[in-house]
Amino acid sequence: MGAAVSGRSQASLLLVLGATVLAVSAFSGMYANYVRPGFRPALVAAGAVLVLVAVLSFRREQRAPRVAWLLAVPVFAIVLVAPPALGSYAARRGDAAPPPAADHRALGAGVTDLTLGDFIGRATAGGSLAGRRVGLTGFVVRAREGWYVARMRMACCAADAFVLEVAVEGASAPPEDTWVRVTGTWAPGRQPAIRASEVRPVERPEEPYELL
Amino acid sequence: MVLAGLLVVGRFVLAPHLTDPALRTWATVFVAVCVQALPFLVFGVMLSAAITAFVPPSFWTRALPRRPYAAVPVAGVAGAVMPGCECASVPVAAGLMARGVAPPAALAFLLASPAINPVVLVATAVAFPGEPSMVVARFCASLAVAVLAGWIWARFGSTRWLPVPRRPAGHGQGGRWGSFVDSMCHDLMHAGGFLVVGALAAATLNVVIPREWLTAVAGIPVVSVLVLALLAVLLSICSEADAFVAASLTAFSPTAKLAFLVVGPMVDLKLIALQTGTFGGAFVRRFVPLTLVLAIGVSFAAGWALL
Repeated sequence: MGAAVSGRSQASLLLVLGATVLAVSAFSGMYANYVRPGFRPALVAAGAVLVLVAVLSFRREQRAPRVAWLLAVPVFAIVLVAPPALGSYAARRGDAAPPPAADHRALGAGVTDLTLGDFIGRATAGGSLAGRRVGLTGFVVRAREGWYVARMRMACCAADAFVLEVAVEGASAPPEDTWVRVTGTWAPGRQPAIRASEVRPVERPEEPYELL
Repeated sequence: MVLAGLLVVGRFVLAPHLTDPALRTWATVFVAVCVQALPFLVFGVMLSAAITAFVPPSFWTRALPRRPYAAVPVAGVAGAVMPGCECASVPVAAGLMARGVAPPAALAFLLASPAINPVVLVATAVAFPGEPSMVVARFCASLAVAVLAGWIWARFGSTRWLPVPRRPAGHGQGGRWGSFVDSMCHDLMHAGGFLVVGALAAATLNVVIPREWLTAVAGIPVVSVLVLALLAVLLSICSEADAFVAASLTAFSPTAKLAFLVVGPMVDLKLIALQTGTFGGAFVRRFVPLTLVLAIGVSFAAGWALL
């Protein structure tokens, strides 16, 4: 494995990489763990181009430097670790996102589902949440006292993600990292918080992140 | 074959044990950086291969002023039209050089295009609502650094440090399309491996640096600017997303945030690795410090004048 990369190995590397990119983007929703959904067409196109170049260059003779072997590392990471979307571990050590601008549309009488970003924005601005019943969906982050319903917010990819978290009051903590929908009312205080009337486990949503 | 075998064996033997949350978080960030950069790299490599295979060298001699000093600013401004991030600009700049564009001009393009293209400027405007001066400062400072770096390279640079990237010439089997595929494969092999090196480093630092360190230095005037410049180098965030990260560093001064935005697209771990793979170590050892010093200096000046 230490030698310069032969023509055929180069083509195999590109083929495996391209196939992995296609598997992640075209044939599954796994790409959503890493980048925003808008990237999907670009990923499918890039995967297809890689496969095409691999097929066309199978008989090349130029050799490539050893560092090219590293192209296999992301493939191994995806196949062996199958990295999930960022969860409580990242949330606990990450930066809190600055409170998003508040949306001032009035909430209806029933239960309104809000994004965590919207809830935190409204809670920081104050007022528009008072007395309204809302639903929040996120994963569980347990703290020393109490727990949070949290979600990561990303602009572009998981490397730039920030934490959005809302403290949950009046309900015992579900296991770490389970996805839940918390229904309740805003609990005014030092940090954005919700007084829960119901906590129900839910399926992880297809888009695990909130988008900027 | 060996590769496929390792993957299958690993999948069944190792995978059940690789569940530590720190490892998985690291892997998520690493894969995210790779997956995000890959389409841009492929797009850049394609554009670069198309430049080498289909655009005759005479086009560039007509499009750009002949004297390098005049060509540098023109190439810098031309960077504004290529929407993409830094991963795309490296192979394109290499393609331009291989086609006879003066290296200083190609380098000005390399530095300017990821920072001042419309996608990045719009992202910056969105991330800093109500602060159009940040967009103006970013544009002016980045263009200034690109042009200054190009001029300094034109004056002091040596061709020994920057061998014009060797290309399979257009006479291979299969004519132009053959050389198009050859040069794509060549660039993907050289740049791709180094992209992975950069992503490994960026993911490690992303997971390892405690954020409290940052808030501790945010209040110190000059140090805070240098810290954010260094952070931009280490984190290697795509230039289309870095404005959102800069905006979230609320404890820091506008000048420090500007330094983050100017340095990031020009010098970061992923980019240093990519440039090493494309242009060689002798080039990177000189060009990267030059760019970094210029970027920090110009950020101070622009922050003082515009923010």
